[in-house]
Amino acid sequence: MSETASLNMQDIPQGQLPEHIELQRARVFCKADAPVHTEDVEYSGAYAAVGFDNSLQVDDFRRDFRVEIKNLSMDDIEFDMIGIDASLANAFRRILIAEVPTMAIEKVLIVNNTSVMADEILSHRLGLLPIEADPRLFDFLSENDTPNERNTIVFKMEVHCKKRGPRLTVKSDQLKWLPNGSELLMESPNPSTKPRSFTSFSCSQASLPQISGRPIGMKHLDIIITQLGPGQSIELEAHAVKGTGKVHAKWSPVGTTWYRMLPEVKLLKEVRGNDAEKLVKKCPRKVFDVEDVGHAMKKAVVSRPRDCTLCRECISGAGEENIALRRVRDHFIFTVESTGALPAEVLFTEAVKILEEKCERVISELS
Amino acid sequence: MDSQPEPKDSQPKPKDSQPEPKDSQLEPVIYICGDCRKEIPVKPGDAVQCRECGYRILYKKRTSRIIQYEAR
Ligand code: SF4
Ligand SMILES: [Zn+2]
Repeated sequence: MSETASLNMQDIPQGQLPEHIELQRARVFCKADAPVHTEDVEYSGAYAAVGFDNSLQVDDFRRDFRVEIKNLSMDDIEFDMIGIDASLANAFRRILIAEVPTMAIEKVLIVNNTSVMADEILSHRLGLLPIEADPRLFDFLSENDTPNERNTIVFKMEVHCKKRGPRLTVKSDQLKWLPNGSELLMESPNPSTKPRSFTSFSCSQASLPQISGRPIGMKHLDIIITQLGPGQSIELEAHAVKGTGKVHAKWSPVGTTWYRMLPEVKLLKEVRGNDAEKLVKKCPRKVFDVEDVGHAMKKAVVSRPRDCTLCRECISGAGEENIALRRVRDHFIFTVESTGALPAEVLFTEAVKILEEKCERVISELS
Repeated sequence: MDSQPEPKDSQPKPKDSQPEPKDSQLEPVIYICGDCRKEIPVKPGDAVQCRECGYRILYKKRTSRIIQYEAR
């Protein structure tokens, strides 16, 4: 009942939560044994008794939501999403992994393979190679479609290792793009008809305006596919199609993507002298620094809380009660590692579009 | 997902596309020696043995058809 008593305190203005309750609402507490207050308080009237409105208003969200890009390179992005619920942050993560489409090799037509690697293993390895092609320019190939220039990318590989020579390492640069489609011919049932190839391209992909500027190829040219011994050879054609990570991980556009809540490290009491030095040494992530406060006195300060991994080393053993480890509930440090088809920041906007589409579908179902 | 490879051919070759069966009796089948990798034509009644090195394990050659796999 002590909490109820504190709610009646005169110094707390109406419409505001008392400090300790506000902390429980906005932070996850990381205690030495386990985290507490991990659950979101979602109910809009949860704090109605103190006149605090816990409902989520669209206008408030618009006003408070922020994205801060911390790090951006060719294939990686790290950014902060502030003012969003974990369920939404997680939705973006899951969509990025499983639902943003890319192109990946799906069919492998093997003419010859005398290497020690079995055809199926070779095909599987080819499937995992990241392809540098904008998936937004292509259509999905459904079961009854014929492969054409809008839904299939064809690569050819012809490698031979010379007899009485050294072994040959076959890398992804051996896969050559065929903008005109398959060069292999299907066996036709009667010999009089003209044999057809495995694809029916109506024009060269290289002549398509969106592709001509940026030729299609392997994202990395140095991925080892297999090795050939003297006299061995491989001849094949690989057909890449559009797909999503939920069908097979080879279509996942990200190496991985993850988020973590912003760590908050607070010194509840001043840590001075020897204890301060000890604390600095204890932390493997160098979160703390020692600061001179004059009179040959030193005290510990929290200088890099963002680097904290919440390993809880600093709250184990002596001095535990001096430090509070928390996580900011609505502040997510989001990292996207692209495999290369699209830049990481574009992938994220694609994920947002997919969630938007899903929401629109729900709305139209309901109305 | 079905991880079985499906060596499905576009169309099965009809039987009558090959001369049957008298000519094929004479046509030697080419095998590969398991030791020296030489190609050995073998006719019915021939010894299963490499003519170059005498090795007795011979391998069938790979089909000339294209085999299609799913890259999974
Ligand atoms: S939890 Fe670990 S990383 Fe974080 S401040 Fe403490 S010792 Fe450092
Ligand atoms: Zn031999």
